[in-house]
Amino acid sequence: MTTLVDGSTATRRAEALASARRGRVLNPKKSRSGGLTPYLFIAPGFLIFVVTIIYPTVQAFQMSFFDWKIVGSQASEFLGLDNYVRAFEDPQFWVSSVNTLVYIVATVVPQIIIGLAVALLLHMKSPAQTLFRILYYLPVVTSWVVVSLLFRFLFADAGVINFTLGDILGVTDGDTAWLADRWTGMIAISALGIWKGIGWSMMIFLAALQGVPRGLVEAATVDGANAWQRFRVVTLPAIWAALAFVTVMLVIGGFNVFISVYLMTGGGPAGRTQVLLTYMYQQAFEYLDLGYGSAIAVLLTIVVFAFSVLQLRAFRGRYGEDSP
Amino acid sequence: MLRSQRPLLILATTGLVALVATGCSPSADPADNSSNITLTFWGSYGNGGNSAQQEVLTNDLIPSFEADHPGVTVEYVDIPYDDLLQKLTTSAAGDALPDLVRADLGWVPRFADLGVLVPLSETMDDFDVLADAVYDGSLATNLYDGSYYGLPLNTNTRVLISNPEALDAAGMSAPPATFEEVVAMAEALEGSGIQVFADGGLGAWNISPWLWSGGGDIANDDLTASSGVLDSDENVATVQMLVDLFQAGQISNGITGNEGAVSTSEGLPSATYATILDGPWMQGIWADQFPEFEPVYSAVPAGPGGSVSVVGGENIVLTTASEHQDAALDFIRFTQTPEFQLALVATGQLTIIEDLGDEQVALVPGLALFTEQLSTAKNRLAITGGAEVDTILSTELTPAFEGTISVKEALTRAAEQIDAVLARG
Amino acid sequence: MRSRATRTARRLGFTLQHALLVVGALIMIAPFAYMLSTSFQSQTFVLTTPPQLIPSDPTASNYSSVIGTQDIFRYFANSVFVAVVSTSLSLLVSSMMAYAFARFRFAGRETIFRVLLLGLMIPAIMLIIPQFVLAKNLGLLDSLAGLVVFYVAGSLALNTFLLRGFFESIPRELDDAMQMDGANAWTRYWRLALPLAKPGLATATIFTFLNCWDEFAWALTIINDPEIRTLPVAIRIFAGSGNNAVQWGVVFAASVIAVIPVIIVFLIFQRYFVQGLTSGAIKG
Repeated sequence: MTTLVDGSTATRRAEALASARRGRVLNPKKSRSGGLTPYLFIAPGFLIFVVTIIYPTVQAFQMSFFDWKIVGSQASEFLGLDNYVRAFEDPQFWVSSVNTLVYIVATVVPQIIIGLAVALLLHMKSPAQTLFRILYYLPVVTSWVVVSLLFRFLFADAGVINFTLGDILGVTDGDTAWLADRWTGMIAISALGIWKGIGWSMMIFLAALQGVPRGLVEAATVDGANAWQRFRVVTLPAIWAALAFVTVMLVIGGFNVFISVYLMTGGGPAGRTQVLLTYMYQQAFEYLDLGYGSAIAVLLTIVVFAFSVLQLRAFRGRYGEDSP
Repeated sequence: MLRSQRPLLILATTGLVALVATGCSPSADPADNSSNITLTFWGSYGNGGNSAQQEVLTNDLIPSFEADHPGVTVEYVDIPYDDLLQKLTTSAAGDALPDLVRADLGWVPRFADLGVLVPLSETMDDFDVLADAVYDGSLATNLYDGSYYGLPLNTNTRVLISNPEALDAAGMSAPPATFEEVVAMAEALEGSGIQVFADGGLGAWNISPWLWSGGGDIANDDLTASSGVLDSDENVATVQMLVDLFQAGQISNGITGNEGAVSTSEGLPSATYATILDGPWMQGIWADQFPEFEPVYSAVPAGPGGSVSVVGGENIVLTTASEHQDAALDFIRFTQTPEFQLALVATGQLTIIEDLGDEQVALVPGLALFTEQLSTAKNRLAITGGAEVDTILSTELTPAFEGTISVKEALTRAAEQIDAVLARG
Repeated sequence: MRSRATRTARRLGFTLQHALLVVGALIMIAPFAYMLSTSFQSQTFVLTTPPQLIPSDPTASNYSSVIGTQDIFRYFANSVFVAVVSTSLSLLVSSMMAYAFARFRFAGRETIFRVLLLGLMIPAIMLIIPQFVLAKNLGLLDSLAGLVVFYVAGSLALNTFLLRGFFESIPRELDDAMQMDGANAWTRYWRLALPLAKPGLATATIFTFLNCWDEFAWALTIINDPEIRTLPVAIRIFAGSGNNAVQWGVVFAASVIAVIPVIIVFLIFQRYFVQGLTSGAIKG
């Protein structure tokens, strides 16, 4: 009988494992494919998912092949692939795509590195641990709408950022028109993305670091491994699944950036900071061209899907899926 | 173990029960025709924190209507202006529109085209009487494909608003009344740190007063072509004047879409800007937030075409989804009465009834100028693609302001694209 | 062997670690501090440069305005209800799915998982119209249940993905041992996997709660009745049209109030992240 004692997860796990090993009888064949059971476990969730997400997705996909009329009573003209061809020939589509990719690179890498660094720092015992966790998590918790408006305010020509850079630090003239230009605008938007996301990845890494076998870390120290080596050999493999998860999620999040751009620059000036989703929103809801908007969304989804599958494959390859 | 999981189990069960309970609660049955009709009315009277208008509506006007129409309840739902369009669009697609909507002028052609609005000119017997009473410009915003799909609810327009400090700094005793005076003021303000003008963009709402006062237009009268009209010599001269001021640093770059620039509502009271073009709603906002500021109102600077501003406002429309069209039409008639119109005038909205002009000024003297400006104000293009025209103007004119292409070329390119939009109807 | 040098090095490392954390924390909370301070200022003082972190003339009027005239506690309660119910249901359903993916091999496993992942990648905005029509057909319009159903649906992919990783890292021998003892899948899931995946569950709780709490677009679209309005929509209404002078003080006051429950949820559940005691029992 496995007895699990109250206490920390790691302790429980250790005791359970030890006791399991004591009592094990060799008969491994049995449970891997469980007949109907896995399907029963999946059924409720998958049913909800298919009805409320997949079915609308298929409909949205359908919309992209038509000059779709919103109100059902009007006939929509079948366009075939015209909306897709239009996207490829649309310069604003390409500008939006480049901006999106820039945003992803500029925000995902820092969030992972800084998030992991903070998690490592907080993983060590510290009296003010809870306080720090709250402070780092605060940005994640505040509403996107509010922080986008706040950052627009901060990056305004007469705002705090310019004031800090100009008057306090003396690094610039203090009059950068952040939101007036493509690249400075992307910097401002990316800064918001990074600031808001660090706490999120930090949380995941903190949870994952619970699973790092302390004993191994200490053994490695005794063997003379330095901090980097300990990290690479012991910690990294243990948090590999979390790293994969965070990377995939952050990239998806990057592709789906919307509110911050919408509220900070409106995609302007003149569409220069437009990203894929803001462009799609403009086409679908301001111009009521839902067919074209859907096509852009479908293209975005395909790209995101491809990226994610590739990423997952890359991560899975290194440390395998089944635990020893 | 069980101890620690029981809370989750309880929580989940409670959740399921609650879910079923809320989902299955019987809704009040609206189909009872003999008594209790509920009309739903969507609008943005809430205006952020500036809720004076909504209060008048819900506390005074709606009860008054309900008292006169026993058995009818009007339910007003306030929706943030920036999101109202998306919500209307989605609801149209889902066939879940309310009975009545306070719609922005530009939305009427669009939703009429979708077939979700009732053509009032065909449904109401007394439509002609009501139509005669309102300003022509305001009425025209309801016209689509030969029928009128709404009635004006309130109107507004833009006038020139100046900061007295800036006027002093430029050595002027009165705001600039003509294009030349604006340019002269800019020169006088050189080096003072004050910019002569600021605006939030280059869309039709922003640039039309300048173009029309300059004697030009955006498209021809039957809305078939923009080329030849938008890129006319008059327009080139007008826009060139603005571009020159911009290049001289006298117009803030908010006009080319810099969201980081000081907004007009804050820049004018703080004397960052000398003049702006804006509407009557600013009065209430400034009284709240900048109580010491005393704005000076004057007509749009006149050019070769006179002093012509742009008509704004909202219309009231009836959707085809409404199951109580008669009651809804009664409410629409109610909105055209002096009682309704004047109650809202007190909160800063301009009436659309021509005859009430004098009373309006008596109630709120500050509105005299707006009323006068309205008499010559013109409409933006009443087409389904209004939003696209705005984007085209902003996108094409921005490089002209930044100096990368000539004004003539920018206007020509914009005109070509607007031709395409007009062709689609 | 600990020499004095090592001890000094450790102390230095400790201090450095803390210094870095403090600097980072300051950057993290600076905008929030600004927001907090602005919520105590009346409008005229809001937009000064240099910015004032300590309000020179603090006032609670924004808060009283938000609480009193703007009915914020009703919206608060609505948001709490929706978030709590959605989070509970989502956790239950997605942990079941995650367990199946982690522990069983069955036909179509990876395919179904990939379909689930697809849900993460579709821009939710694009689905608004088809989902609206669906909600209407299911009778879910203008109801909190309509919010719950779609929030649960929207969180399934993320939570399942997250929890699968946590379940997979639980050693299989534990499952096998329980199975020897005759425990069926549900028992193994309920008594073994869930307790051991507490950090994962806690993380999922925090995130799902937050997403439901903050969700705006769907709430705006299907809710008309002001009685069941949720907090983000209410705040948006306070903020008014972005172009006119936004009443920053009121908006921030409302936002500060809105942040509190999420912090509470965070505090409650982050205990499960507490580092365990040394577990020498795990042999490599």
